[in-house]
Amino acid sequence: MKGLFTKLTVNRALGLATLVLGFLALFLGDPGKGARATIDPSELALMVQREVDHVSPEQLADWIIAGRSDYRLVDLRREAEFAEYHIPTAENIPLTGLDRSSLGRNETVLLYSEGGIHSAQAWFLLKARQHRSVYMLSGGLDGWKERVLFPRVTADSSAASLEKLKHVSAFFGGSLRTGSGEAAAGPTLIMPKPQISAPPVAPAGGTTTKKKKEGC
Amino acid sequence: MSAPWYKFGLFGDNVSLVVAFVIGIGFGFFLERAGFGSAKKLTAQFYLTDMTVFKVMFTAIVTAMIGVFYLGWIGYLDLSLIYLTPTYIVPQFAGGLLLGVGFVVGGYCPGTSCVAAATGKLDGMAFLGGILAGLLLFGELFPLVSGFYTMTPLGRVTLPEFFDLSYGLVVFLVVLMAVGGFAGATQVEKWMAAKKGVR
Amino acid sequence: MTTLTASPPADLRAATTTAARTAHPYMNPYLAGLGLGLVLLLSFVVMGRGLGASGAFTAVVATGVNAVAPEHAKANEFYAEYLGDGTTSPLMDWLVFEVLGVFAGGLISGALAGRVRIAVDRGPAITDRSRLILAFFGGGIMGIGAKIARGCTSGQALTGGAVLNLGSWITMLMVFAGAYALAYFVRRQWL
Repeated sequence: MKGLFTKLTVNRALGLATLVLGFLALFLGDPGKGARATIDPSELALMVQREVDHVSPEQLADWIIAGRSDYRLVDLRREAEFAEYHIPTAENIPLTGLDRSSLGRNETVLLYSEGGIHSAQAWFLLKARQHRSVYMLSGGLDGWKERVLFPRVTADSSAASLEKLKHVSAFFGGSLRTGSGEAAAGPTLIMPKPQISAPPVAPAGGTTTKKKKEGC
Repeated sequence: MSAPWYKFGLFGDNVSLVVAFVIGIGFGFFLERAGFGSAKKLTAQFYLTDMTVFKVMFTAIVTAMIGVFYLGWIGYLDLSLIYLTPTYIVPQFAGGLLLGVGFVVGGYCPGTSCVAAATGKLDGMAFLGGILAGLLLFGELFPLVSGFYTMTPLGRVTLPEFFDLSYGLVVFLVVLMAVGGFAGATQVEKWMAAKKGVR
Repeated sequence: MTTLTASPPADLRAATTTAARTAHPYMNPYLAGLGLGLVLLLSFVVMGRGLGASGAFTAVVATGVNAVAPEHAKANEFYAEYLGDGTTSPLMDWLVFEVLGVFAGGLISGALAGRVRIAVDRGPAITDRSRLILAFFGGGIMGIGAKIARGCTSGQALTGGAVLNLGSWITMLMVFAGAYALAYFVRRQWL
C-alpha cells in the first residue's frame, strides 16, 4: 500500500510538471525563429577591424577551381542581376530573402554583392542570428571583375604570376587587361555568360560534405 | 546556438559512432526496463489489458518534445538542424498500417526485437530474421513500387507548420493529449482487470 | 541512471503494480518513458538526429546484396542509397552502431533484472513453432512497412513524434490503427 502511494505521487508529480511546462510553452510561441537574436558588439567590431571575415577574390577563385564545396557562396543582388552574371557556384539569395533562406547556422557562408555595403549588412544580420562562420568577398563583384576576371597586368609582374592570372581569368571566361588605365576603363569588357563559366565540379550550394544519410 | 554538437563540428564521424553506441545502450536499457523485451507485454496494448506501450512511448515523446522546445527557446539548440524525415502522406499512411499489422502479428517492432533477442527470446530472433527477409523483398521489388514510394511528397514539414499553429500551442496540445491519455489508459486497464476477475 | 541500475528487483516490484503479478517486475512505465525521452533528447542535442532501428537492418541487407551481387546492388536505387559512394562500408553507419548499443543495453538491463533466458514469448493457445513462424512473418511485414513509411516505430513514432514531424504523426496513428484493427484476428497467439 505504501509502495502504491509513492508511485502515485511520482506519477502525479511527473504529470503535473508536464502540464505546467506544456502550459508555459503555450505562451512562449516558437523556439529558434531568430526573435531572440543577440549580438556582442565589441566582438563584432573587432572582427570587422581585423578583417578576418574577408575572403579575397583570388582565394575564392582558387576554391572554385579546386572544387571546394564546404561553403556556400551567396549572391545578394536582385534576381535579374544574378541572371545576367554571377560568380560560378553562387546561389542567389537577395538581401530581402535572407530571412527565409535555408542557410544553416553551422554552414560556412561567403557573401557578395555589387560592392561591399550589402554584404556587410547581410553579414551583420547573419551574425546576429548566430550563424557561425560568415565571410564577405572583399571588394564584392567589382573586386572579382577587377582582380580575377579582367586583372590588370602591370609591367613589373613576373612571368609565373602572369601565367597564373591568365589561367585563372580564362577559367572564368575573362581575359587579361594590358596597357594604360584609360583604355581598360572603356566598355570593351564583355562579361562572360554564366553558363559558359560553370566549373566542372561542385554544384551551387548544398552541404555536400554531409553525404551520409540520416534517416532510417 | 551551440547544439546539435555534431553539426557544429564539435567532433567528427568516428567519434559519432562511439556516441551512437552509447546512446544505443541507453535506448536498449530503457526499452528492456519498460518490459519491451516481451512480445506478450507489448501486444497486451492491443487487447487493452496493459497500456504500457502507450504510456512509455508518450512519456518519452513528451519528455523529448518539451526538452527540444525549451532548449530551442533559450537559443541553445538549433531546431532547424535536427534531422526530420521528409513527409510522404500516402506511403506513410500505408506504411504505418503495415507496421501496425506486423507489430500485432510478430509481437515486436524493430527496436524492441533487438532487446528481445539480446535477452534470449527466440521469437525476437525470428522477428529479426523476418525484418531482414522483408527488407530484401522490398529491395528487390523496389523498382516496381518506387512510383508509389515517392507519392505525395511534402518535404520537411512539422505539425505547427502544416496547421499554421505556434510550436508552443502544439506542444501544449500534445501534453494535454498525453496526460489525458495516461489517465484514460489507467482507467481502461482497471476495467479490463475487473472484467477478467469476473470471468 | 546509476541509481536505477543499482536497484534490486525487489524494490522495483514494490514500486510497480502492473507487473506485480508476474515473476519479472518492470519499471514504472512513466519513469522508463522519462529515461527513454532523456536518451532521445540527448541524441538530438549531441547529434541533431533521433533514434532508429530499421535503417541499421537496411544497411546490413544492402551490404549483403552488395557482397553477393555488386552490379545488381548498384543498379537498384534503394540499395545504392545505403551503399553511398562506396568509399566507406554502409556498416560504418551511425544507426548500425546505435543498434549494436541497443543489443548491449537490453542485455545489461535484462541481466541486472534476471530476465535473460532462452524462451519463446507467446500465449498459451499456440505452439512455439507457430509463434516463431508468425514472428518471422510479422518481422517481414514490419520490414516492408518501415521502408514505405521511412522509418519504424523508433525512427518515426518516437523520434519524429517528439519533433512534431507531420509524417511521423501520420505513421504513428496508422501503426495503432493497423494493430488494433488486426488484433482480434490474431488473438489466439497472445491471449
